[in-house]
Amino acid sequence: MLCNRYIMNRILLSFVLLVSFFSCKHGEGEYHGVIEKINAEGEHYKGTSISSEKYLEDMEMLQITEGEHTFLIPERKGEIRSYACTECHSKPLEDMHSEGMKKAHWDIKIVHANENTMNCVTCHNPSNMNELKSLTGRDIDFNKSYQLCSQCHTKQFEDWKGGAHGKRLGGWAPPRAAMTCVNCHNPHKPHFESRWPARFNTTVDEERK
Amino acid sequence: MSTNKKWYSLNFGRNNEKPSGACGCGKTSGGCGSHGAKGHQEPDVNQMTDQEFAEAAINASIGEETKKDGFDQVFDVKMDRRTAFKKLTASLLIGAGAVSTSCSVISGDDSKEKAQIDWEEQFKGNYKLMSDDEKSATVDRLMRSYELRTGKNLSMSSKNAEEDVLFGYAFNISKCQGYMDCVNACVEENNQDRNSEMQYIRIHEMKDGQGFNFNEADDNYYHEVPAEGHFYMGTQCFHCDNPPCVEVCPVQATWREADGLVVVDYDWCVGCRYCMAACPYDGRRFNWSKPEVPEEEVNHNQHYLGNRMRKKGVMEKCTFCVQRSRTGKNPACVEACPTGARVFGNLLDPKSTIRWVLENKKVFRLKEDLGTEPKFWYFMD
Repeated sequence: MLCNRYIMNRILLSFVLLVSFFSCKHGEGEYHGVIEKINAEGEHYKGTSISSEKYLEDMEMLQITEGEHTFLIPERKGEIRSYACTECHSKPLEDMHSEGMKKAHWDIKIVHANENTMNCVTCHNPSNMNELKSLTGRDIDFNKSYQLCSQCHTKQFEDWKGGAHGKRLGGWAPPRAAMTCVNCHNPHKPHFESRWPARFNTTVDEERK
Repeated sequence: MSTNKKWYSLNFGRNNEKPSGACGCGKTSGGCGSHGAKGHQEPDVNQMTDQEFAEAAINASIGEETKKDGFDQVFDVKMDRRTAFKKLTASLLIGAGAVSTSCSVISGDDSKEKAQIDWEEQFKGNYKLMSDDEKSATVDRLMRSYELRTGKNLSMSSKNAEEDVLFGYAFNISKCQGYMDCVNACVEENNQDRNSEMQYIRIHEMKDGQGFNFNEADDNYYHEVPAEGHFYMGTQCFHCDNPPCVEVCPVQATWREADGLVVVDYDWCVGCRYCMAACPYDGRRFNWSKPEVPEEEVNHNQHYLGNRMRKKGVMEKCTFCVQRSRTGKNPACVEACPTGARVFGNLLDPKSTIRWVLENKKVFRLKEDLGTEPKFWYFMD
C-alpha cells in the first residue's frame, strides 16, 4: 500500500514536471518580457559597428560633460551674427542709445518669466557683453548657454542631460549629439508658437476611398 | 536558414539545378516550339504591356474586394467557374507571359531581360528564408528591373540586423503639439501612396482630463495646434516583441527580425489582412489601390523590407524606417519632429538615451495586459 502511494507520487511529480517543462511558451526567446530581455542581453553589451558619426560631419560640434553624461552640442558662437559683441558694445548702453548709431537688436522684448524675475542683466553682463552672466555674477560662455538656463529649469536640465528632453542630432547610434536649449527656444521668448499643422490629418474612411 | 520548417513547400527542382538559360525549354535564344504555340493560343498575354499585365493579375485576385469590407467581402462575391479559374491562373499567366517573351525572336534584349527578371521574381522564395546571397540577388534584380523600366537608378539594401541591437521608441505625450511634421516626413521617406491618404502614423487629439480615450479622440483635426485643453499622442506600429500579427500570418510573410523590427515581405504577402485584424494597435495598413508616387518624389534610398515600392493588395506598415535605422540614422519621424517628443535608440546599449528614458521617466505602454510587449513607450515630462 505504502509502496503504491510512493509510486503514485513519483508519477504525479514527473507529470507535473513534464507539464511545467512544456507549458512555458518559450518559442524564440527565453525571456518573459521585453524588459527582462533588455536587462539580460544588455548586460553583455559589447557595442555595435553602427556609428552615426558621418551624419555629424558638416556640423561644428563641441563635447560637453555634465555629471555622468558626455555628449556633443552644436557650437554657438560661430552661429551668432556679429559675435564678438564687443565689436559694437564698446561703451555703456546709455551712450549707444543716444548716438545716431546703427540699430541692431534694439527691438528685443523679453517674454520670459515676469519683470520681477528677469530683465536683461539677469543673463547679460553690461560690462562684459562677450560672456553671459550667472545669477551669482560668474561668466558663462556663449557656447555653454545651457548652464544659464539650468539655473532655473533644473528639471528640464536633468531630462536634457539624460536624453528625454530636446532633440537628437545625427542618428541614434553613438556618438550622441543633441541640440542645446537655444537651438529650439529663443531665450528672449522661449515658448513655442501655436501654428497650423503641416497637413490635414487622415481618417480611416479617407484611406479606403 | 531554418531547417525545421513548419509548413510544406513545393520543390520544383529549383534548388538542385538553376535554369541555365532564359526559358524552361533549355534554349537561351531563338523561338521554342511549345511556348511559342502557347503564346498563339493566348494572344492577350503577348499584347498586354508588363504594367497592364501585373495590374490585371492583381485585379483578378483582389479587384472585386476593393470597395467592400468585412462580411460583404466574404459573402457578397460573385464566383462562377470562370472567375475561380481566372484567379487560379493569374500567377501562372505571368509566368507564361515571361516565358513567351523570353523565347520570342522578335522582342529585344531589354524585354528579354525584363522577362527573365519577372520570371525569377515570380518564383523566388520567402525573404525570411533566403541566404544572404539570395537576398542580394533579389535586390539586384529589383534594382535592375527599375532601371530597365524607368531608366533611373535606385539603391536598395538587403542589410541584415546588426548584433547587439534591439530598437526601441519612446514618445513624450507632454511634448507633442500635433504639428504633423512627422507624418509628412514619413509619407515622403517611405514612398507612401499620395492619393489614398494612407499613413503609418496617426496623431490623436485627446481632451485633457479624459485620459487615453480613443473613442473620443479627434484623429481628423485641422485647426491651429496645440488646441486649448487638448493633448496629442501618436500611434504607429509598436514593433511588439511578441507580435500577434506574426502569429496569424498564414504564409509567414511577416516576422520579427533579430533587431526587433517587425517586417513584411511585400512579395510574399497574399493580402489576407489577418494581421490587420490581429493587431490590437491599428498598426497595419492595406493597399486598397495601386500606390502612386510621382517619379520625382520617389525616395531612391530603399531597403527590401522597408520603403521599396509596394503593389496593390499587400500589407505594409511602419518599419522604424529600416533603410535608415540599420545605417545609424533616426527614423524620419524622429528627425522631423520639431518638439523632440520622439526618442529612438538601441535598448541593449545601457548608455543609450532610450534606456535613460525607460529607467528615469515614468513610462507606460498601450494595452500592456495583452502581453504583446510593444517596444514603444509613452512618457511625460
